[in-house]
Amino acid sequence: MEVKDDVVFKGEHLLPQQRVCLFMGRLMYSACAKDCGLGAYASIMAASISGYTFSSVCYHSANSSSDHEGFLLGEVRQEETLSISDSHIGSSEFLNVIEVHNHEPCAQLFSFYDYAGNVNEENLNRILKDRRKNVIGWYRFRRNTQQQMSFREQVIHKQLTHILGIPDLVFLLFSFISTANSSTHALEYVLFRPNKNRYNQRISLSIPNLGNTSQQEYKVSSVPNTSKNYASVIKEHGTEFFDKDGVMKDIRTIFQVYSALQERVQAVCCEVDQSERVREKIQEEVNKLKEEIALRKRNSAEEERRLQEAAAVTLPDNPALPDSSHSSLTQVMLSGPSVEPSLERPVNSSSPPIYSTTLLPDSPSAILLPRPQAVGSPGHPSPSLGLGNGDGSSSDSLNRQATGQEDQEEDDDEDSSEYENLVSEQLQLPSLTETVTLGRPATLWPDGDAHSPPGS
Amino acid sequence: SIVLHIMAVSAVHLESDAFLVCMNHALSTEKEEVMGLCIGEVWMSCVYEVDTNRIVHIHSVIILRRSDKRKDRVEISPEQLSAASTEAEISFEHRLADMTGRPMRVVGWYHSHPHITVWPSHVDVRTQAMYQMMDQGFVGLIFSCFIEDKNTKTGRVLYTCFQSVQAQKGSEYERIEIPIHVVPHEAIGKVCLESAVELPRILCQEEQDTYRRIHSLTHLDPITKIHNGSVFTKNLCSQMSAISGPLLQWLEDRLELNKHSIIKLQKEKERLTQELASL
Repeated sequence: MEVKDDVVFKGEHLLPQQRVCLFMGRLMYSACAKDCGLGAYASIMAASISGYTFSSVCYHSANSSSDHEGFLLGEVRQEETLSISDSHIGSSEFLNVIEVHNHEPCAQLFSFYDYAGNVNEENLNRILKDRRKNVIGWYRFRRNTQQQMSFREQVIHKQLTHILGIPDLVFLLFSFISTANSSTHALEYVLFRPNKNRYNQRISLSIPNLGNTSQQEYKVSSVPNTSKNYASVIKEHGTEFFDKDGVMKDIRTIFQVYSALQERVQAVCCEVDQSERVREKIQEEVNKLKEEIALRKRNSAEEERRLQEAAAVTLPDNPALPDSSHSSLTQVMLSGPSVEPSLERPVNSSSPPIYSTTLLPDSPSAILLPRPQAVGSPGHPSPSLGLGNGDGSSSDSLNRQATGQEDQEEDDDEDSSEYENLVSEQLQLPSLTETVTLGRPATLWPDGDAHSPPGS
Repeated sequence: SIVLHIMAVSAVHLESDAFLVCMNHALSTEKEEVMGLCIGEVWMSCVYEVDTNRIVHIHSVIILRRSDKRKDRVEISPEQLSAASTEAEISFEHRLADMTGRPMRVVGWYHSHPHITVWPSHVDVRTQAMYQMMDQGFVGLIFSCFIEDKNTKTGRVLYTCFQSVQAQKGSEYERIEIPIHVVPHEAIGKVCLESAVELPRILCQEEQDTYRRIHSLTHLDPITKIHNGSVFTKNLCSQMSAISGPLLQWLEDRLELNKHSIIKLQKEKERLTQELASL
C-alpha cells in the first residue's frame, strides 16, 4: 500500500487523540511490515562524529601497541515526522540522530572490566567522572580483526547498557589492516547498535566537514538591467549595507567574529602546548624512575644469586649448580632483540645516535613495539639491522610472536582471541637497556644533504 | 637498477602527532583534495657497510594553501613547492632547532583523496616524479577518506606512501610503494599543534583573497555586491562551525585530558620515588 506524503507533521503538534490513532496505525503497520516487508514504520538512523574526534581516536590508537578503547560522549536526539495520507492513517518516521561530540580514551585495556567481561562500576565512574551522563556509547580499536563484536565485547556492552542506563548504547568498532609491505593501511569503522534487533544493527557514521569550499557562489557580474527604477531603488536602499569606505558592514562584523574565535583558538592551543610539555616531562621522569627501580631490583637479585651460588658451591653435598646467573642474563638479553629497537633521540646532534633496545613496562610509547600485522606482513618498523631489502620492503620480523597472542582465561570464547589484541607479554619483562647486538651494531646518522650521503 | 635500490627510501616513519594533523586536514572537507608538506629528516643507515637504507622521519606537517582549487588537481608547481619549502624550513628551523637540536626540512608532501581510491593518479605520480628530481628522497603520502560501503555501512580511511620511478628513460612514470609506519608519540608536539590551528586561518585567508578579487570588480550593482558579501559571510560561518568550533572543542578536551594525566603521573612519580628510596 502506498502512503502519500501529502502532509507531513512533526509529532508534537498533534492532539492526543491523533497520536493514539497514529500509534495504533503504526502498530498495525509494524505488524504488516514484518509480513510483507513494507517499511510503514521506518526508523532512520543518522550518526555523526567530528573529524577532530575521529582523528583523535586514530591518534590514541596509533600510540597503543595493543587494542585501544574508550567511551563516546555526545547526544542522541529523536525527531518524529509524520505523514498523513488520504486515508487518514499515518505512517511515522523516526529520525534518530546520534552525535558524537568527543571521546574519553581509556589509558589501558581492562580498566573497567575483567577477563570475564564483568564491568566494575567503581572503576567506570573513576574513568568517566562527571562525564558519565554524556556517554552515548563506547568504542574499540583493533588490528587485523573482523568487523564484528567479539563475545567479550557483547558481554561488556550488555552490562554497560544496564549500568549506565542507556537502552540504545552504541558501539563503534575500528579495525586496522595493512598490506604485506606496510605501504598502505586501512582503517575501517562501523557503528553498531547491539541492543536493537537484527535489522538495525549498523548505522552509517558521517563526518561533517566543510563540504564545498569552492568560491563558485560569488557573482562576477550583475544581471544586465537597464531599468532606471531598479538602479535608483537598490542604490538608495542598498547603501544601508555599506560603510563609508564602500565595504559591506557584514564583512567587517563577521570578520571580527572570526578573528576573536581564532584568537581564542590560539590561546587554548598555547595552554594545550604547555600542558603537553609538562606531561611529557613528568612521563619522562616516571620512566626514568621505573628504569632505575628495575635496574636496582635486577642488581640485587643478581647479588642474591651470586651469594646463593657461592654458598652452594662450598657445600660438598651439592652437585655443582649450573651457572644460573649467566643463564638468567642471557635469557633477558635474548629477549631483547626480538623487540623492536627504539630510536634514541640525542639532545645534541653532534654524535650519531645508537640504536638501543629499551623495554619499559608501562610506557609503550617509549618504544616502537611491534604490532600485529596482516598475515604474512612484516612487523613494524624494522629499520636496517641488515634485514632490509633494497626495494623498500622490510623482511619478516620476529615480532609477531610478541603481539596479540592471547593466553587469558581458558573458558574465553574463541571469538575473543581471534578479535582482540591485548597487551603484549613483553611489557611485563623488567626494563633493560642495551645495544642491539645482532652482528655489528647499526649506526645511524642524519643525512644533512639529500644529494650526497655521508661517506659516499 | 642497483643504483635505484641504494637511493630508494626504505621506509617512512610518521610520528603519530603529525599523523593526527594530516587526518584533521584530510577530514576537513570532502569536496576537495587538500594538501600539505611533510617536515622531518632523513636517516641513513648502513649495516655491514653494504646495504644503505634511507628512512624518512616525518615529525610534523604544514598545511598548504591550494593555488589551484579545482577538485581533481592538487599539485603545486616545483617552483612553488621549492618556495614553500624554503619558507617552511626557515620558520621551522628556528622553532625546531631549540627542541631537538637538529634541523628539519621538507621531506615529502601529502594530499587527500576524498571519496576516491587511495592510489595516486597519473597526475599524482608525475607530480611526485617532478618533486623527486629536486630531492630523490622526497616521498608522497595520500589519505583517502569519506569512503563508505553502503551495504555493510562500513566507513574507511586509508593512507599510503609512494615514490615514482621510471622503468626506462622516456617511459611513463610508475609508482612504487614505500612502507610507512605511524610511530607512537605520546605528547603532541608544539609544531604539530601550531600547524593544526593554522587551518582556519588558511581557510579564511583563501576566502578573503577571493572576495577581494570579486570586490575589486567595479561594475557590480549594489544587489550583486550585497549578494557577494553575504556569500563571504556564509562561507566564513561555515568555516567557523565546521572547523574552528570542533577544533576548539578538541583542544579543550585535550587540555582536560592532559590535566588529569598530569595529576595521575604526579602521583605515580611520588609512589615510584618512595619505592626507589626504599630499595
